[in-house]
Amino acid sequence: MNQNQQPQQTSSSEGRSSADDDSALSDFLSSLTDYTPTIPDELVQHYLAKSGFQCPDVRLTRLVAVATQKFVAEVAGDALQHCKARQASIPKDKRDRQQKDRRLVLTMEDLSKALREYGVNLRHQEYFADNPSTGMDPTTRDE
Amino acid sequence: MSNGNGKTGKQIEQAGPTCRRKKVSGGDEFAQAIAKIAVAQVCESKGFQGFQQSALETMSDVTARYIMSIGKSANSYANLAGRAECNIFDVIQGLEDMGYAQGFTGASDIDHWLEDSGVVREISQFVNEVEPVMFAHPIPPFPVVKERVLPPSFLQKGEEPPDDHIPAWLPAFPDPETFSQSATVNGRGTEPHATKVENDNSNGDRPLLNSQQQIVSSMFGNTAMNDPAVPKANTVAAESNPFLAAPLKFEDKEVASIAPPAKFFNNTVASDIPILENFVENEPISVLETFAPAIEAIKSTCSDSREDQTKFPVKEKPTVRFKVGTKNKFLARSIGLIPQNEEHNKTLPWFAMEDEKDDRKRRAEKILRESLENPDQLVQL
Repeated sequence: MNQNQQPQQTSSSEGRSSADDDSALSDFLSSLTDYTPTIPDELVQHYLAKSGFQCPDVRLTRLVAVATQKFVAEVAGDALQHCKARQASIPKDKRDRQQKDRRLVLTMEDLSKALREYGVNLRHQEYFADNPSTGMDPTTRDE
Repeated sequence: MSNGNGKTGKQIEQAGPTCRRKKVSGGDEFAQAIAKIAVAQVCESKGFQGFQQSALETMSDVTARYIMSIGKSANSYANLAGRAECNIFDVIQGLEDMGYAQGFTGASDIDHWLEDSGVVREISQFVNEVEPVMFAHPIPPFPVVKERVLPPSFLQKGEEPPDDHIPAWLPAFPDPETFSQSATVNGRGTEPHATKVENDNSNGDRPLLNSQQQIVSSMFGNTAMNDPAVPKANTVAAESNPFLAAPLKFEDKEVASIAPPAKFFNNTVASDIPILENFVENEPISVLETFAPAIEAIKSTCSDSREDQTKFPVKEKPTVRFKVGTKNKFLARSIGLIPQNEEHNKTLPWFAMEDEKDDRKRRAEKILRESLENPDQLVQL
């Protein structure tokens, strides 16, 4: 009972009430409806249904879609940082780097480094010794 | 991922996607494809200009798993609270679970309001900052579930059940035509069933082939394939897949008879072959004339029966003296017990492989006729 009272006391001491929080949530959800996530609703509904999630409310689906998009964007951002860092550190001619390697390509290498911080451990083949372009910079290879 | 250059590379690339589709994904390819497009769009909005194929597939797979894990944890929280349907608090708790790996503000606070959670704040921040990017294509709601058409019962068909122990509300037996024809084709009853389905296209009949395909399709978890769809799919499969079609009988397909190669129409080529010269010396008849009746016969008919070939007029062929063998051997040959390879050893090289058998039969007939006409002129080995 003490534990139940304490959060209420802290909330009252902070000047918040449950009504405000409810409205905050409904405001948040209404702001979601304005935002169209890149990940389509049908896809999110398909995978949620696959995992047992049942909810008729579309706003919750949108919430999950936005959260997923945020996750993908963060991972992509980290991978982009790794890619740029790798390009900066390669000791090459300025001429070559400006022409070709400016092209930012999402590679398995960068992706595995980025995902490692999120708890996804990715292992990929370093190279396949089956064609002459083995061992070359992955951005210049045709994939 | 690069699979290697050259022909083998191309073959692998062609075989790879189909193998992958059949073995690994099992009916989820549409969702995976859409996920790939969505992930590519998000990454593009972040600044990427290109993607490695494998990296894109991995990222889309991780995204799908992320969604599924949110759904799973949200569902667990709802069940924990004694509900079957999830509400926003379940979802926020699920998001918090996902966020513990990376961390969010207020993660370590116990008893904090869910509305005030760091995850919610971060999401609202994201929504305010980032411009929405529309998904590139319109998507129909999926997976599509077809309506099940049940097979008609005895009552619905108006039939009487054949026996007293069968109640009338049970589904009716299939038509006897669908399974009566059996043991005609290699002892397997499946091909006539497939052809019958093509002809009938009836509703409730389900031949053996159908059930096999049903099992296979259910293994792949294909929700779109249902009872009415399966016979239609089978007809399509039987029509498109030549290996499932009924085997042809002997007279079904017209097989053109083999025309002798062009070199025999040309006298100039004949001179190159020394043996042919000997042949020509015996009788002053050109090769073209010799084979003229054969050519005419080939042009007029396309029948591939053996008798026509042996009926080519043999009289115009020059009589070539060669050792045939003993009387007994000849009789055995005429009956067909001994293969007639030996006598053709010298003459075989100038005939193409297709003509060998024709020639052999012609000569056999000729020898037989000669022996019958002139029994005293038989040559001994």
